[in-house]
Amino acid sequence: MAVLPTSSLTMRASPLLGALRIADERVTSAFDHAFAPADNPWRHLGALAFFCLVVAVSSGVIGYALYDTSVSGAYQSGLRLQNDPLRLGRLLRGLHRYAADAFMLLSVLHLLREALRGHFRGVRWFSWLTGIPMLWMLWIAGITGLWLLWDERALFSVTATAEWLQALPLASDLLARNFLTPDALNDRFFSLIMFVHIGLPLLLLGAVWVHVQRVSLPRMWPPRALIAGSLITLSLLALSFPAESLGPADTGHVAAQLSLDWYYLFPHPLADTLSATATWALVAAMTLFLAVLPWMRSPSSPARAATRVAQVDLANCNGCSRCAADCPFGAVVMIPRTDQRRHPRQASVIADLCATCGICVGACPSSTPFRRIEDLVSGIEMPDAPTAALRRELQQKLTALPGPEKILVFTCRQAAEFSVLNDASTAVMPLECAGMLPPSFIEYATRMGATGTVIAGCREADCEYRFGDRWVRERLLGAREPHLRSTAPRDRLAVVWSGRAIEQVQTAINSLRCGTGRVPSKSDSDRNHSLEANHD
Amino acid sequence: MALPRPVRYLLQALAYAAFAALIGYFSNRPAYRQLADDEAVVKLSFSHSAQLRQACRERGEAELAKLAPNMRTKLDCPRERSAVAVELDMDDKPLYRINTPPSGLHKDGAATVYRRLAIPAGRHQFRARLADGPDGKFTFRHEAGIDLAPGQVLIVDFLTGSGGFVFIHGK
Repeated sequence: MAVLPTSSLTMRASPLLGALRIADERVTSAFDHAFAPADNPWRHLGALAFFCLVVAVSSGVIGYALYDTSVSGAYQSGLRLQNDPLRLGRLLRGLHRYAADAFMLLSVLHLLREALRGHFRGVRWFSWLTGIPMLWMLWIAGITGLWLLWDERALFSVTATAEWLQALPLASDLLARNFLTPDALNDRFFSLIMFVHIGLPLLLLGAVWVHVQRVSLPRMWPPRALIAGSLITLSLLALSFPAESLGPADTGHVAAQLSLDWYYLFPHPLADTLSATATWALVAAMTLFLAVLPWMRSPSSPARAATRVAQVDLANCNGCSRCAADCPFGAVVMIPRTDQRRHPRQASVIADLCATCGICVGACPSSTPFRRIEDLVSGIEMPDAPTAALRRELQQKLTALPGPEKILVFTCRQAAEFSVLNDASTAVMPLECAGMLPPSFIEYATRMGATGTVIAGCREADCEYRFGDRWVRERLLGAREPHLRSTAPRDRLAVVWSGRAIEQVQTAINSLRCGTGRVPSKSDSDRNHSLEANHD
Repeated sequence: MALPRPVRYLLQALAYAAFAALIGYFSNRPAYRQLADDEAVVKLSFSHSAQLRQACRERGEAELAKLAPNMRTKLDCPRERSAVAVELDMDDKPLYRINTPPSGLHKDGAATVYRRLAIPAGRHQFRARLADGPDGKFTFRHEAGIDLAPGQVLIVDFLTGSGGFVFIHGK
């Protein structure tokens, strides 16, 4: 598939980062072949991780009722479950363990994917930063769960963790003494660990709530198909490869080889290989790096201040609240009117939350190029791309095409730079996001002589600004205001969620030239109802 | 181009299987080798409050008179303790040496040591010495021949109440 390696993100990235981003797109594309785009698990890593947390917490609540928090009873508790003749205990233990493992894996993949897509910059800094302590919390919650089994692996891990903690400057060498002999340990240890193991996942549920505070309509749950598939997969895994305890913890003996849960116990081999101090330095450096990443800027990346946030023009704002409903980051809020107009409310932009996507402009009913006022101003405007300038650009580009065929292509800058498509019969109008386009511009383009219009943006359900593709589709289908009017020439309109695949856009242009434009159909509408955007 | 539904279902099944394999495999494997098959472990661990660096001395009358009334105690005992020196030998060869200072801001706390050492399994002669006075002389000694099986743990502890070094090892 021919792709344009020139999207705005990729252009700014190092070759390695660029290659990783292309790899991410290919993985996304591969999953799209197996799953519908809206059900693509690669797009729901965060929601899937949350689902696994819920499975782990739910199974853990039952497990707690069956657990004996004593030195002598802890190990037997695990054995009782794994030897349950009805296999329900095996299912419970396996679900708990594997859901916890999947939670860690999916959380890390979620972090990596968001990092690759640059989703730590700008307005997303809050979600990024609040996600970092969650990684630590989930690791501590997971590792303490393994200790509760009090088998050989638990003793190894708790001793190794104590040795690791002892490497900290202020810690004494006494922690590991608690696990030297059977007499050194008492039942209160398991009560304490149980408290941590239950408390942290509950805190994590709260932390997830904080994590998504700065996004609108956060997608907490994955699609039902993924929930069912994941639950069945984890259950089959639990029954086929039961999560079993090793031999009982024996302070007088060390196993030469141990089966490890690498999702949580990876620091122990690392500390053995690098030294405890070096491992602390490594994890501290990684945590610090992740924490400051939103404020790190390479010399080639543009300054945030260069893009101005949306501005409300009260003279043209009637307080309809469509911009507030469509803003993906909750940057537009409705407040009581501050001027003397009769409308009770007005839109107001919270500058710190504005991602400058322009989706609010696409939602504003006053952003129509048909208005006859001399100075066209919309109720909400992007200062760097005002509606009047868009109308002027559209007029100029269509006038410049010699004709008779005039195809106008609205492209999303986040997907790719499609300027190579400009030719004698095609004019490209780049937008910050496809969702920025008011539907009336499509009809206006036809009035101005366009024989066809193409809207090209990020891959379906993969909008850089979360909801661009969804809102465009709903507006064109008449399911969301502002509608594309029924009189608009839908047979001359093509919508392509191509991502960086230029050939798809070219195919759409060719189809319009041949008079076979792709019109949003009922099947699109059905898919649209099941389509939910991810919270990232 | 959308794939036929059966093919999509097959691909989905493969994706879930890969997910399960990834979770299941790293949940237990690969096994981590923490010790060679023919190795045993010695854990040297203790917490011991050493002797004071300086002995208590009696204050003279003139010196006492200079102090505030509530501070006029006859004995002047500096709080700082001595460092603890430990030498652990195995088969007449040094296995571990450490000189550890007392803990605390005023260096008046216990000295703590924890070290885990892998050694070849088999019969060994262990000798431990500890010095905890200002003169650095080894005042506590213990020696024992111990047969350690592979994986067996020998704990070398120091318990003042038990008279000094204690060698603890399982059967």
